[in-house]
Amino acid sequence: MTESSDSVVSRRHILTLLAAGAAMAAGGGMLAACGKRKDSDSGTTSQDKLKEILPAFVPNTSIKADIPSVTGANGAMSDPCFLKYPSSPVRTVTGAVGSGGSYVGMTPLWGAIPPSSGNAYYEAVNQAIGATLKMQPADGNTYDTQLPPLFAADKLPDWLQIPGWWASKLSLGQGVSKFTDLTPFLSGDKIKKYPNLAAIPQVAWACGVWNGKLYGIPCYSSAATFTGAIFYRKDIFAKKGINPAIKSIDELFNLGQALTDANAGVWAFDDLWTYLADPFGIPYKWAEQDGKIIHKYETEAMLEALAWQQKVVKAGLMHPDAVAGNTQNAKQRFWSGKVVISGDGTGSWNGDDWKSGTAANSDYFRQAFDPFTASGSGTPALTLGNAAGLFSYLSGKLSQEQVEECLAIANYLAAPYGSAEWLVANFGTEGVDYTMTDGNPVLTEQGNKEVATTFQFLASPSSATTVTSGAVDVAKAYAEWQAKAVKAAYKPLFYGMNITEPAQYGSIDQPVEDMLKDVRYGRKTLDDFKAVVVTWRTQGGDELRKVHEQVREENGTGQ
Amino acid sequence: MAVITGDGAVTTPNKASDTPRSDQAVSPPARRKLTWREKLRRDRTMIIMTMPALILTLVFAYVPMFGAVTAFQRYSIYDGFWYSAWTGLENFTRLMTDPIFWSAFENTLVISAVQLVLYFPVPIILALMLNSIMSSKIRSFVQSIVYLPHFFSWVLVVTIFQEMLGGAGALNMFLRQHGWATWDIMTNPETFKYLVTAQAVWKEAGWGVIVFLAALAAIEPTLYEAASADGAGRWRRMWHITLPGMRGVIMLMLVLRLGNALTVGFEQMLIQRNAVGRDAAEVLDTFAYYYGVVNNNFSYGAAAGLFKGVLSLILILAANKLAHAFGEDGLYRK
Repeated sequence: MTESSDSVVSRRHILTLLAAGAAMAAGGGMLAACGKRKDSDSGTTSQDKLKEILPAFVPNTSIKADIPSVTGANGAMSDPCFLKYPSSPVRTVTGAVGSGGSYVGMTPLWGAIPPSSGNAYYEAVNQAIGATLKMQPADGNTYDTQLPPLFAADKLPDWLQIPGWWASKLSLGQGVSKFTDLTPFLSGDKIKKYPNLAAIPQVAWACGVWNGKLYGIPCYSSAATFTGAIFYRKDIFAKKGINPAIKSIDELFNLGQALTDANAGVWAFDDLWTYLADPFGIPYKWAEQDGKIIHKYETEAMLEALAWQQKVVKAGLMHPDAVAGNTQNAKQRFWSGKVVISGDGTGSWNGDDWKSGTAANSDYFRQAFDPFTASGSGTPALTLGNAAGLFSYLSGKLSQEQVEECLAIANYLAAPYGSAEWLVANFGTEGVDYTMTDGNPVLTEQGNKEVATTFQFLASPSSATTVTSGAVDVAKAYAEWQAKAVKAAYKPLFYGMNITEPAQYGSIDQPVEDMLKDVRYGRKTLDDFKAVVVTWRTQGGDELRKVHEQVREENGTGQ
Repeated sequence: MAVITGDGAVTTPNKASDTPRSDQAVSPPARRKLTWREKLRRDRTMIIMTMPALILTLVFAYVPMFGAVTAFQRYSIYDGFWYSAWTGLENFTRLMTDPIFWSAFENTLVISAVQLVLYFPVPIILALMLNSIMSSKIRSFVQSIVYLPHFFSWVLVVTIFQEMLGGAGALNMFLRQHGWATWDIMTNPETFKYLVTAQAVWKEAGWGVIVFLAALAAIEPTLYEAASADGAGRWRRMWHITLPGMRGVIMLMLVLRLGNALTVGFEQMLIQRNAVGRDAAEVLDTFAYYYGVVNNNFSYGAAAGLFKGVLSLILILAANKLAHAFGEDGLYRK
């Protein structure tokens, strides 16, 4: 921003006069104080600087997993798997946690909002942490649109969850200044005061660093984060005697033809688009080609994947509702067997999914294909996602004592799976909100109403693969797949780096994304796509390339 | 302009003074103009009654209009209205040269025109048909059924259409199982404008009937009796009594419809945008949403919204003028 301060002041003055009437009509307050204008930061931090800031890593050794974590390629590690909750859970937190403070926490929730008063689960957690955390879960589907007004009105809660996938949309590099800089509290050995936080790997903390300072507390971190996988119905494959060991995208297409029976209302594929990226080798966002930085839109892999998907749609192998862009019922289609092969996040592979699937078909079993390449040659590679996608932030208005109290609470909430604290933080009180069934905690009827993912979005331990809804085989199958997947992991360009792109290029992707849908569903041709990418370049794509080239020069590419 | 004053009784003597009198000089002195206070006291009941509506309009319609300033800024949520950089008309000049915006504009007009021709007459015809049903039992039964879809959300309406007419829906499964060619209705961009109109008719036509039924009920029954006695048949009665009796209401609805011509159903388009693609389903409202809200480019979205708002205002004023030219009341009596 290059305007002189004089002109800004005078315009501000005029605007103030203009707005005075409106503000009074609204009963004042509507236009509360706003942040100071400042130059926007790129948000990026160099690798050397990062090493100085990051908290030390001290893994927890007191709890042994049934299937231990497997070390894969490029720092990837599968999550430890527990088939049973340890019968005598260890305590990881000693002494008082909080000191009676009261804080408001706001988190997204993809599900029914639990009652806030008379909630035994909330009360149990608050009693355990010795402080009052007043949780305000908000609808996860519209969470991104609820945050900007909070920022604009400076009405941020004390403790706030901001999912990482909305960070660039919110230009968070600019917004983090409203939060507490945790570097003086947690960097290096200082974190050892909070052993459960120290057990969260450094790669997870790295994405909580903005402008050379640590702001975010990682939630649900995992060194085995992938976009997702292409899943198939193992039970249907077994019944039809189909071998799921596919080696190329052509074999997948052939499977599609064998499985589709439109007259019976069965189609082989749902919309696999997002999950075709790894087989075809479409980069996460940017890639290096002969030293030049190119965007995924500009890659050959993108065109090949589009061509394949068009072929699938033309051959009538994709469920018509999926072709009509209906994604919200994709799980139902898979559960009911109307679709046999579907893409989904790895988070969908759990006992609750198994429970829903078996309700439709008692043999239901979800299984992911082993990693493969589209061409059938070369080694499969899976894009490693950020080790944490969810971060919580403490308001910048808290005093030092309050920040320390919140971090002590975070330490409690980050107690690992298998500890006594984990049970309280995730399930409340035994006999009230949950009971132990076959060695695993299961929610009671009351628990089903009261317990929701709330505190976990403020702080939570590194992920573990656990048994949900009593589905032991599901947990085993997932752990087995993860062990294979981490071996194929690779770090995409700018891995784990927070890069804030100039806001004026915020919407240049939209026409390309719209065109992608048109091409994917066969409404437009590959040439149309190439043309829209040329426009994208001139509208700011080339400028973005320069931004990233500069980041590469100054801060490296996060490899 | 017809203003309800609540003192009809007081104004009658004034009218009486217009009638010729033998002695103009001794006519009672012109009525003293009421002071502001007196008027307030006289009308206080009316004022109190309209207050909630006024406050709601003020708070939810007028105050947020202040947000339109963001259309002239490069708005950032961290800088707020006060500190965001001024860009003057930059957003508007960009808008005017944006082919995607103009494509959205064109779609809006086309869909609106199709709806005007194919949707607007439906409730009128339905009202006439309902009115001709003699049995009140059957009439209220039919009426309830055609009302019902109004209470469905768009998500539900689109889902029902998808389940019935979609590629895996009832109709196409039937065609497929009998070896006939399937019929692509839900994902055909060419016919999308007719699809959304059909959905709008199915959902809203029954509800739209209400106001026309009320207009029909207001027509003096003796007119029909007199016309029958003079030998007018069914069609002549409709042409010479029913339709002229409804004309005022039809014109009013038409004016309102034209004022809303640039609003063609945000949710309906949003839900089906993936099915037919942007080229067919992007309208002004979804454009402002995708290019403004979704991509955190609020100023651009606000510029598109403001442009639409100003055009809508011009349209409604023009339509109102037209109504007056035809001797109808339009939005208000001249």
